[in-house]
Amino acid sequence: MTLFKSLCLAAAAGALALSAGAAEAGATLDRITQKKEMVVATAANWPPQSFMNKDNQLDGFDVDVAKEIAKRLGATARFITPEWGIITAGNWNGRWDISVGSMTPTTGRTRVLDFPAIYYYTPYVFAVHKASKLDSRAALNGKTIGVEGGTTSEDYINGKLTIDAVGVPAFTADVKPGDIKTYGDSVGPLDDLRLGDGVRLDAIVSALPTIDAAVKRGYPIRAINDKPAYHEPLAIAIDKGDAELNARLAEIVAALKAEGTLKSLSEKWYGIDYTVAK
Amino acid sequence: MYHDHVRRDKLTNKTWFLGLLALAFTAAGVVGNVGDSGLAARLAPATAALPGGEGLAGVWVALAVALALTLNVHLLGRLGRGLQIAAVWLEVFSLFLVFFYSFDLSYSFILGKLPFLITQGVVTTLYISAISIAIAFVLAMVGAIARLSDNGFAIAIASFYTSFFRGVPLLIQIYLIYLGIPQLGYVIGAIPAGVAALSLCYGAYMTEIFRAGIMSIPKGQWEAARALGFRPMHTLVLIILPQSLRLIIPPTGNQFIAMLKDSSLVSVIGVWELMFLARTQGRDEFRHLEMLITAAALYWLISIVLEQVQSRLERRLARGHRH
Repeated sequence: MTLFKSLCLAAAAGALALSAGAAEAGATLDRITQKKEMVVATAANWPPQSFMNKDNQLDGFDVDVAKEIAKRLGATARFITPEWGIITAGNWNGRWDISVGSMTPTTGRTRVLDFPAIYYYTPYVFAVHKASKLDSRAALNGKTIGVEGGTTSEDYINGKLTIDAVGVPAFTADVKPGDIKTYGDSVGPLDDLRLGDGVRLDAIVSALPTIDAAVKRGYPIRAINDKPAYHEPLAIAIDKGDAELNARLAEIVAALKAEGTLKSLSEKWYGIDYTVAK
Repeated sequence: MYHDHVRRDKLTNKTWFLGLLALAFTAAGVVGNVGDSGLAARLAPATAALPGGEGLAGVWVALAVALALTLNVHLLGRLGRGLQIAAVWLEVFSLFLVFFYSFDLSYSFILGKLPFLITQGVVTTLYISAISIAIAFVLAMVGAIARLSDNGFAIAIASFYTSFFRGVPLLIQIYLIYLGIPQLGYVIGAIPAGVAALSLCYGAYMTEIFRAGIMSIPKGQWEAARALGFRPMHTLVLIILPQSLRLIIPPTGNQFIAMLKDSSLVSVIGVWELMFLARTQGRDEFRHLEMLITAAALYWLISIVLEQVQSRLERRLARGHRH
């Protein structure tokens, strides 16, 4: 093979490689309907949204919603569990079709992902140790506060959170913490708070369902008696560029809301209807 | 180490050493507040009878504990070596168990999850590590031969390979392979990506082991083979490698044990191996400590088995060199 020929071949291979990166319109939807299988990326350690149940199967609110969506696309849901950061980074390359993982559609994420629909809203609250006397947001100024890194709670406590989704009540970041501790997952702050009032943390910011679940499992903590810090809108996400799938999913979620399926799933897992922000 | 044949009295029989030890234990006990522990409550009737009242009770408890510990050291010192090793092992191990026992773990929860941790987690961990070490072995062999060759291209590529893959954290390599290769058009699965990262990284480490093993064979062996008419490749395969394997195998076993534990990093791309399950299984019931300790025990057990295999292999390979 001459040098010129091999150079041409290399260039062609390169062009092919680049073109394979971007999703084509309708490609994901076609794949789902052809294979009758929808590959869902979700977390495995985030109860009650998605977790492994006693039978070592994935279970939870997000898992139920994903199964419901798959059913309406005429497919069955198959779940895979990559790290959260890999899901939010976008560029899925067809590894999975959709994320039903309670993702907040932040401005940064909309650059790499499409968010067809918001399916519920979670109130975020401050929580303290049972023995703590702190009981209002004003009392938390100057205290040590724990949050999960890379989440809206971290942005909130740093005063950087902006949410521009429909249906979300306005909020203000009015607590000025003395020190912020950031953890790798949602249990980290809970585990440090349970050690005792002020041992490592004075308070945490976390999703109300997470705190409720921890309390149910005997964690000596309580949410402070104040209105929620903010409401986090949570959406299903797909890779950029498939408008047909986007429209189809928006339709399905709207139908799930209208029929009350989402409401009953929310009540099943949270005991409360979180599908509207209050 | 060298065994000295001059007999000296044992340190653990000397009064000054035992006295110093008891003093150190007492001081540690007082500083560490042994007086407030459950043990102190049980000793309360005895300490009440001693002078000093409430104030000195903590010191008395610390002293009692220190004396018991010192006596223990003294008695252990009198045992024969084999028995001594076993007894100290047992004592350290029971301390370990007491440490875990104090966490108030749910054993029924652990037992319920154990079968899945083994059939899914341990099996995945083992087969990922086994495939990776096999590929790493081949990579290391090629890398070492390339680095020791006279070919400039081979040396450059091999040294670039070892430099990069030894110099970059394994976690970054896993991300680079899992997220980077799809940019070139091929979407690699999570398990192949993990295996690729593990074998490339450990192949780089093992290249150096193989290189050292080959280089440790005296030059005279090469020269003798050449004089007998062997070509360089034949010399390497038939004469040098069989001799250097004796030096290569033991550290390779070490690498395998290390890889077994590093394979836990693959959990970030969603492979359901032991570490991934340990992090997720206990999450629903907030029993992650149970799962982490179980995973630790499982990793440890596998490592112990592998250590045994390694020492067998070592003895077998060394049989030609016994004195």
